[in-house]
Amino acid sequence: MKFSHSQSARANILAKLKKQVKGADYGKLPVETAFDYPEQDFEQQLNQFICQLEANHAQVIKIKPQQIADTLARQLKNRNIASLLYGESSQYSQAIEQLNGFIELTPYDFMLDGNRERLFNDYPASVTGSYCAIAQTGSIVLWPTENEPRTLSLVPPVHFVIVDTNQLYQDFATLIGAQQWQDKLPTNVVLVSGPSKTADIQQTLAYGAHGPKELVVLLLCDEDTL
Amino acid sequence: MNNAAQYKIKVQESKYANSARAFRENVARDLDNSELRENFRGAMDYLVDKRKSAFSEREELDCLRQQCKLIKQRCLVKLPLLLEQLEQQLEQNGIVVHWAESITDANEIIAQLIERNNGKSVVKGKSMVSEETALNDYLELQGVECLESDMGEYIVQLAKEHPSHIIMPAIHQNKQQVAKLFAENIDGFDYNTDVDTLIQQGRQVLRDKFCQADVGISGVNFAVAETGTLCLVENEGNGRMCTTVPDLHIAITGIEKVVEYLADVPPLLSLLTRSATGQAISTYFNMISHPRQDGEKDGPKQVHLVLLDNGRSQAFADDELRQTLQCIRCGACMNHCPVYTRIGGHAYGTVYPGPIGKMISPHMLGLEATKDLPTASSLCGACGEVCPVKIPIPKILLRLRQESVKPKSDDKQVMKGQGAGRKALEAKIWKAWSLVHKRPVLYRTSMWFLTRLRGLMPKKLGAWTKVRTAPKPAAKTLHELMAQRSRGIRDEV
Repeated sequence: MKFSHSQSARANILAKLKKQVKGADYGKLPVETAFDYPEQDFEQQLNQFICQLEANHAQVIKIKPQQIADTLARQLKNRNIASLLYGESSQYSQAIEQLNGFIELTPYDFMLDGNRERLFNDYPASVTGSYCAIAQTGSIVLWPTENEPRTLSLVPPVHFVIVDTNQLYQDFATLIGAQQWQDKLPTNVVLVSGPSKTADIQQTLAYGAHGPKELVVLLLCDEDTL
Repeated sequence: MNNAAQYKIKVQESKYANSARAFRENVARDLDNSELRENFRGAMDYLVDKRKSAFSEREELDCLRQQCKLIKQRCLVKLPLLLEQLEQQLEQNGIVVHWAESITDANEIIAQLIERNNGKSVVKGKSMVSEETALNDYLELQGVECLESDMGEYIVQLAKEHPSHIIMPAIHQNKQQVAKLFAENIDGFDYNTDVDTLIQQGRQVLRDKFCQADVGISGVNFAVAETGTLCLVENEGNGRMCTTVPDLHIAITGIEKVVEYLADVPPLLSLLTRSATGQAISTYFNMISHPRQDGEKDGPKQVHLVLLDNGRSQAFADDELRQTLQCIRCGACMNHCPVYTRIGGHAYGTVYPGPIGKMISPHMLGLEATKDLPTASSLCGACGEVCPVKIPIPKILLRLRQESVKPKSDDKQVMKGQGAGRKALEAKIWKAWSLVHKRPVLYRTSMWFLTRLRGLMPKKLGAWTKVRTAPKPAAKTLHELMAQRSRGIRDEV
């Protein structure tokens, strides 16, 4: 769906710009130097990751991988929440499914179309896995899939997210470089660094603006990092 | 399309041109409003402190600023190529690209996209470019409701105002004013100044809208040419809602927002959020590269990007003014501006207030409407010092002042409305001034007369003496005093 006017606008804009940079030598651009952040060991990175997240009002719980179901059950009970939305056949779905029978566990196995009311009103909490994490800014990388759709981590008011400490990168630039993101970006990637918030009224911080009011991070640790 | 046709005839220029022309009256009005001044002072002090605490290491800040300046300059020198690459990459990903030279063209494209998809209910994430095009007004004429969903923008829309700050749109209102506004406009809400309660009220209203909306409109912080990715920076989650829930997502941005590589994004993002609000990173950083793909359960089925020029190519055509386009819209220049802090964001009359507004608005609205804006600066240099991409803002303001008083007949037309601020009398005075200063005899004679006739100096000198006393020349010139002094010294010897 294109508009004819858009095509002439395109030609005009590009012609104007090209006229100005005609003959520019791109080989002679000045060298760009990135700041050399001191390298941190794993423990420092993990500490920074947790500190940043907590400073941004997220709750971080360090657990062993086999404690996922127990922790979720306890955290849900603390909040008087009896149901949980999760992604079927996802990274941690087997562990999550241990909750079956204890709480009302619903897989996100429906299309959003026609089910919006249900998604917006029926699920007080959701749980997702994560792709990796960034220590410097306390960010969790969500890489939504068919099994864990984009709205799963966005619409329910409480978002539990499972993060594997083995997938921690020092900073965003390092992560993009190490994983060569430019070759594989999916429909959507989101960096999440806390619960939804706003300071739009008189610079007063308030949580739960439009996205989740609470972000609970289940941090999977090895024996020795616990 | 009847309304749209009428609108196009009526709106040959932005509604902001008129309010920018009224700059001096706006300033007088807002300086007189003590509540407004208190709101801005409080907000600016807060943001200045936040930024300061986000950059604890000077060395890192200097390095990042230099790096990001060079990134933006590289992307600008390659701009036409990157725009073509961006378009190709986006279309390969399934995102449709539209181009608009003027604000009306951009609005028309968006209105037609909505119409073709039978859009009824539109939600918008924060987008200053859509403010620039006055999109809400345009859609309203078509009978389409376009609801702002950023909390600040929502407040501003309810109050029938426009943003007074590019990052914190409702910064001019305090919580009592917001509470009053909500009580008057939201059914069942009783006046309450608790900020959490106010935000939860806004959340409730807007969640219902997100749930129903069939079109989502957003801005773009960075458009990555290499991957065809639209990046959005936000804290609230409304940006994610607008770009995920409705079936149709339309993004609008200025042509200068394109970056070459994905690897250009991390340093720019770091400087953007830290300069803007002092955050290491925003709560959400959203990267969109495709519409919903086969098998995916949610996400918009169509994604469109509207690329807007609206005067940017004019700034691009001049090496010095091109630096204006390096801007990443962090708002640090306005937070640190003594003029902005005092007169507030609405006095400028333009979409973009503060130093960045004074630099960019003349390209969008022409110098005829904006000739006063570049003069609203003490040239203290604070804006240039904090600018994350090192735009020499004071220098550019001086340049714009020159452009606005240049003789209209000068062959090279750098800017629309060039010479609009030129006054014949003022030009003659300066001509005489330069003449006198080039000729010593003439200079001394005129100075002699000026000092001897100082009693004739009028007491009233227009605007100058409204708040000051008129200056009075000294009884003798400096040259005379110096001569007298050296004679005295000689006599003593």
